[in-house]
Amino acid sequence: MVNFSYSSNLQGSFERPDGVDKVTANLKFLTDLSFPNMLYGKILRSVYPHAKIISISAKNAEELPGVRAVITSKDVPGLNRFGLIFPDQPVLCEDRVRYVGDAVAAVAAETEEIAEKALQLIEVEYEPLPVIDDPEKALLPSAPQLHPDGNILHQASYQKGNVEEAFQTCDFIVEETYELPRQMHAYMETEGGVIVPEKDGRITVYAGTQHGYKDRFQLARILDIPESKIRVVSSPMGGSFGGKDELNIQPYGALLAIKTGCPVKIHQSRRESVRSGLKRHPMKITMKTGASRSGKILAHQVRIIADTGAYATLGPAVLDFAVEHAAGPYIIRNVHVEGVSVYTNNGVAGEFRGFGGNQVTFALEGQMDRLAAKLGICPMELRKRNLRKADDPGPVGQEIAPTDGAAQVLKAISQSLLLNNKEKREESTSQWKKTGIGVAIAMHGGGLGFGRLDPAGGRISLNEEGKIEISFGFEEFGQGLLSVIEQLAIKEIGCSSNDIKITIGDTDCVPSSGSSTASRGTSMVWHALQRMKGPFKKRLLEKASQCTGVPVDQLYLGPSGIWSCESKTEPLITYQQIAYETKDDPIQIETEFHFPTTPHSIPGGHYLYSFAACAARVEVDVLTGIVRVKNLEQSVAAGPVIYPTGYLGQIEGGSVMALGYTLLEEALMEKGKYVTENFDSYLIPTINDIPLSMNITAIEDLYEGDEYGPRGVGEIGTVAVAPAIVKAIYDAIGLWVTKLPVSREEIVKAVNQREMKEWLTTKL
Amino acid sequence: MADNKIVEKIKSPLEEKIKISLVVNGQEKELLVNATMRLADILREELQLTGTKVSCEIGRCGACSVIMDGKLVNSCLVRAYQANQKEILTIEGLGMNGLHPIQKAFLEEGGFQCGYCTPGMIIAVKALFDQYANPTKEQILEGLSGNLCRCTGYGGIIRAIQKLTES
Ligand code: FES
Ligand code: FES
Repeated sequence: MVNFSYSSNLQGSFERPDGVDKVTANLKFLTDLSFPNMLYGKILRSVYPHAKIISISAKNAEELPGVRAVITSKDVPGLNRFGLIFPDQPVLCEDRVRYVGDAVAAVAAETEEIAEKALQLIEVEYEPLPVIDDPEKALLPSAPQLHPDGNILHQASYQKGNVEEAFQTCDFIVEETYELPRQMHAYMETEGGVIVPEKDGRITVYAGTQHGYKDRFQLARILDIPESKIRVVSSPMGGSFGGKDELNIQPYGALLAIKTGCPVKIHQSRRESVRSGLKRHPMKITMKTGASRSGKILAHQVRIIADTGAYATLGPAVLDFAVEHAAGPYIIRNVHVEGVSVYTNNGVAGEFRGFGGNQVTFALEGQMDRLAAKLGICPMELRKRNLRKADDPGPVGQEIAPTDGAAQVLKAISQSLLLNNKEKREESTSQWKKTGIGVAIAMHGGGLGFGRLDPAGGRISLNEEGKIEISFGFEEFGQGLLSVIEQLAIKEIGCSSNDIKITIGDTDCVPSSGSSTASRGTSMVWHALQRMKGPFKKRLLEKASQCTGVPVDQLYLGPSGIWSCESKTEPLITYQQIAYETKDDPIQIETEFHFPTTPHSIPGGHYLYSFAACAARVEVDVLTGIVRVKNLEQSVAAGPVIYPTGYLGQIEGGSVMALGYTLLEEALMEKGKYVTENFDSYLIPTINDIPLSMNITAIEDLYEGDEYGPRGVGEIGTVAVAPAIVKAIYDAIGLWVTKLPVSREEIVKAVNQREMKEWLTTKL
Repeated sequence: MADNKIVEKIKSPLEEKIKISLVVNGQEKELLVNATMRLADILREELQLTGTKVSCEIGRCGACSVIMDGKLVNSCLVRAYQANQKEILTIEGLGMNGLHPIQKAFLEEGGFQCGYCTPGMIIAVKALFDQYANPTKEQILEGLSGNLCRCTGYGGIIRAIQKLTES
């Protein structure tokens, strides 16, 4: 038998509504679509990371047979900018390029080959400018200014108590600088889709995104047409992880489709995707943390510098999130956090699963482990002594929904198989392989936070065919949102899965629900159904009562229709019959509300949090420096589980993505140009890189009186993994790693140093 | 620009069409295509079989996996002339008579999320089981090491395979 061991306490799953279509490939992704008379679009991106554009000549390209349109900045009728927080990124650059992904022109042609060829015929004359390839260089007074307001995108800080004074009283202080890499989302489906001009003068944008309505808003501004003229079909997608939240190919496809009057398909190659796509913010984080002899942390000082690349997108919010989570689940009396997000000529960094939490938690948990080692206290015990209590305020002093999650996950992980030696371990196979164990925890806010527009909403109706139609403006990119909607609807309404029709990701037929980001989808579906189920059921029951003469209090909603307490084998009246009876006045309930936020005015401050603890066991080959994660366990506290397979998949998938972040992945740039351009040099975990043993524990209990239901788990599984692995490496070979991805050379070098050999001998 | 020079040297891909015949999912097909057209594009564009995906185009991800004459290949690396006279199985051919047990196992065990790697992954699992009735751990890891999945972390895929080896 195969010796893998993947276990969890999650049981009793259901097939996903989109499951059969996915395993048979009947499901059409938006990049699989084609339309009559469809043209192919290609985008010309900058050759230089920073340059002036002297001239652009498209003449030769336009004359190439088969080319139907070439566009440059002059062809943008509206605002030639986009950006989720504020629009600073040119759709098509006018006179200056600021990174190698900047678009200069785009082409529509009869075939992809002709479009490709045409790109090469566009003559762009550049005058290269000095390249800022490092955020610290960008802050020097002599640095060229990348934007009108300089090179600082955003600054954020948090302060309480007085760290300087508090450090004087500390018995032990640890100070360290951590460096986090530029990680690529590496969704398997690269950005793409088709934009179709419709007969009625509107356009339909079939392209993946995490917020269809937001795309519509941004596109209307670019195209200078009313939003009502645009339909955005944004689902399904072959993965996103935050990376498709911002506009990508949509503006080019739309401009070309309008200009040619034909549907235009753009599907970026992987190289184009690497070059133009968002990445996780590289950050350099310096932390100074001091504690008393007894293990009470007294002061915590943090400095964050984030490389946001050429444009803003969600950069400010990512920094706010990192600042907010810099003290994580620990109660520390004196804290000072300062963060700065800086423009450079590197790739644009933006929204990515974990949203700044991964970077800062890596540093914070690293501090905890270093302090514990200095103090000679068990690292779990040190965490426990400083851990938040259920009704403590949030990490920036704000009021939050009381939660015991931090203690719950810490307790669960301390009882894990791995930490209790119950897990059957393969012992090291050679004296050159050392094993070690590490543990880390994480706290993660859900929703966009205080002061951000974070509306949600949904609709439930009985449609003409007698289906209970549930509509949300969310997108399905793999996370299992459809299953969540289906399972919640069955539970809250009482009908069966056959009675339900789910509509998502199409601005023409769904209400606005906000973005499918920030671990908010599951949470918002639950909240919406809580609001809508009462009125919806009431109207159905009243109608059923009216039709059948049976009093409302003897009726209930069940599979296929309304049942009476007496009906045993079939409903008294079917949903179809009620739909027929209400065809002149269809039953429809809508709701609109806001994601729950803290009442305290802290920009981006969160109200709902989830927690995770991770234990990892590694084997380090001291000759080659190769680190293998042998076992990985996570316990997660995020409220009730709605769709167990999806939950498990999010945590397992998140764990492996984070393993890649720790050991393999870096979108390397040199002088503003990508060195890693595809999966031959940008390595994501293969099946050969994953732990052969994983155990996931979901903790479903919410704190007494908590009325906020399930929290999303899209991000939390990615946060605690890196610090756990790095601590395990320390445990194995005595090396404190401060820079990700873990360098093999660094390990080999460290092991060859005298101290390390001694350390190893004492350990043997 | 350096880029332009390289491109000028490349022969226009519009030239040189050849006739090829191949059997795709049991059906004979005759096509007139560029000799260097990729099998992935032949499937997706000429035959509208969009189940086979393209993600890296350099043989590194396996999204384009199909079985050609009994062997697992990356269809982004196979050219039209190489596919001539060959028998191809794609994901569309697998479930023609109801769900294949591999597809069922993927459904039940959460062997996919976004579904983009899934057609290639399922085809790779099919090739694995064609080769070994009861694959060992090493054979599984080896057999699937060319297929990337960014969503699942492979846990659900391994559970699906375990289920298949148990039955
Ligand atoms: S697309 Fe063929 S291997 Fe990646
Ligand atoms: S399911 Fe999304 S890449 Fe595998």
